[in-house]
Amino acid sequence: MNDRSIPVVELEDLKVKLGRREILHGITCRLGVSGTGKAVGLLGPNGAGKSTLILTLLGFLRPSGGTAKILGMDCRHNMGEARSRIGYMPENDSFVGEMTAVTFLRQMAELSGLPPKAALEKAHEVLFHVGLGESRYRELRTYSYGMKQMAKLAQAIVHGPELVVLDEPTNGLDPAARRRMLKLVIDMKEEQGMNVLVCSHLLRDIEQVCDEAVILKDGAIVHHCNLEEERRSNRSFVELEVTGDDRDLRMALPEIGADGVSEGGGRWRIVLPAGVEVEAIWELAERQNLLVRKLTHRRDTLEEIFLKAMGHLSHTPGESATMDVRLET
Amino acid sequence: MAVYKRGYQRYTGPLTGRWTRFMVLPRYAWRRLYEQRLVLLLTMVSFVWPLLCAGFIYLTNHVELLQGLDPEFRSFIQVNGRFFSIFMYVQAGFAVFLAALAGPSLIAPDLSNNALPLYFSRPLTRWSYALARLTVIIGMLSVVTWIPGLLLFGLQVGLAGGWWFVANWTLALAVVIGFLLWLLILGLVAMASSAYVKWRVVAGAVSLAFFFILSGVSAMIDEVFRVNWGHILDPAWAVNRVWCTLLSVDPPEGPGAGASLLSLALFVLLLVLVIERKLRPVEVVR
Repeated sequence: MNDRSIPVVELEDLKVKLGRREILHGITCRLGVSGTGKAVGLLGPNGAGKSTLILTLLGFLRPSGGTAKILGMDCRHNMGEARSRIGYMPENDSFVGEMTAVTFLRQMAELSGLPPKAALEKAHEVLFHVGLGESRYRELRTYSYGMKQMAKLAQAIVHGPELVVLDEPTNGLDPAARRRMLKLVIDMKEEQGMNVLVCSHLLRDIEQVCDEAVILKDGAIVHHCNLEEERRSNRSFVELEVTGDDRDLRMALPEIGADGVSEGGGRWRIVLPAGVEVEAIWELAERQNLLVRKLTHRRDTLEEIFLKAMGHLSHTPGESATMDVRLET
Repeated sequence: MAVYKRGYQRYTGPLTGRWTRFMVLPRYAWRRLYEQRLVLLLTMVSFVWPLLCAGFIYLTNHVELLQGLDPEFRSFIQVNGRFFSIFMYVQAGFAVFLAALAGPSLIAPDLSNNALPLYFSRPLTRWSYALARLTVIIGMLSVVTWIPGLLLFGLQVGLAGGWWFVANWTLALAVVIGFLLWLLILGLVAMASSAYVKWRVVAGAVSLAFFFILSGVSAMIDEVFRVNWGHILDPAWAVNRVWCTLLSVDPPEGPGAGASLLSLALFVLLLVLVIERKLRPVEVVR
């Protein structure tokens, strides 16, 4: 198998127990391709097992069954080699408070195997890159929360890893800092060619930076979708609320190339294909003698998928038409 | 080109070897330790006794300076096993205080700042992290223990001549092995207290208390049960007993060197287990 075809993450019936409780129940999947500079998102509500999966991939937790491979290396046996090719940004505060940012990053780079001189250069470089250049000689404990998040990202990429694992990277950030963080993540994959594994419960973050998403629920994968294809399909979603007899609306939607699902009480979720504008819905409603009380138009595909995966929707509108959603369990 | 102008590029150059990486943590820790004035001051104070001992060695090797002294006293002041046991006993005390001062900053800051996941996500195992931290404390205490001991031995050899080395080379070995045994115990105690107590002052106090409390408990057992094996619970006594055998000086009353070594091995095992439980990248709450 050449380097190009090695999956970033490969799980085979992975089971992980914390104490006596099984958190991950036999997960099987292949995520991303090594060296392609793509991002994979791990989505799921709190307690779904996202962090447990990341900690297992890093070799911090031992699987109770099955296998987990990261960059083609087994998480039980080859972690020494794998870790020199991985950068990890944990969710919680993690740093050495009494160190300046430069010293901290230099130490981390040296621990990853960079010679001292190169480590110092990279520490400066990456601190400027994440926007901490002016405060790089300040002790980390004096940093604000947003700055600490950036410092954590900096330590994860200072040694130029092939894969960067980010656990809730935008947690607690204000909108400007969040935008900056996401821009940096996009830059990491597009400019630097790094593979990125992002764990988050924020759909918008995942949708913005990832090319592939996996949705976890109760320790199992419930959906695995290709967001790149979703974006290419350029569909848009409409949330519609009407009064009147809407029983024929579902049959009428294909007239404009759309598909939808009724949620009852006159509420609808409709998928519009590329090229169809929202005006078509207004015209259709008029033809059906329906009074439109509310119409929300957006291009947010992942939320639909997520809601369906969580069981809040019985059917994802338009699923059969264009979406490539595979049920893993 | 200035760093802020050139932007970030992934590092693609050669990587350092395993041992260079292992020494990264000790290098940074030593730098931080010697930035503390109190540590620096105590280290300097610890050199006073070796300097006095060096003066003593000089005197014993210059008979003309001792002409006016009582012959009995002149025969007493000799550089032998007893001399080195006194030197080691005093320096061991300094080492205890230095370990209590420097030890708490070994692991406690990493635990309180949740830095362990960052270390362990790099090519650094738990054991190599623990070994690196132990190297910090042993390296730092070596400067005031076996290194001055060997220098004193070298001074004596230089002044007395080769015959003295031939007759007493085991003393040098005893100084190194004896001190390393003591530093291992000190280092593990400092690491264990640093791993369990996040406040530095309290962690320092705990590592001092470890020796004083065990010494008190062993003395109590001896008194209450009218025995002398209670000493075996006192690691300082046990180490001193091993030193006596290594330096061929009269041992104190109590269990032998073998039993003392066994008790020290059990202490080491216990401390390693205590540290192992705490040094984990993630804590699983049952």
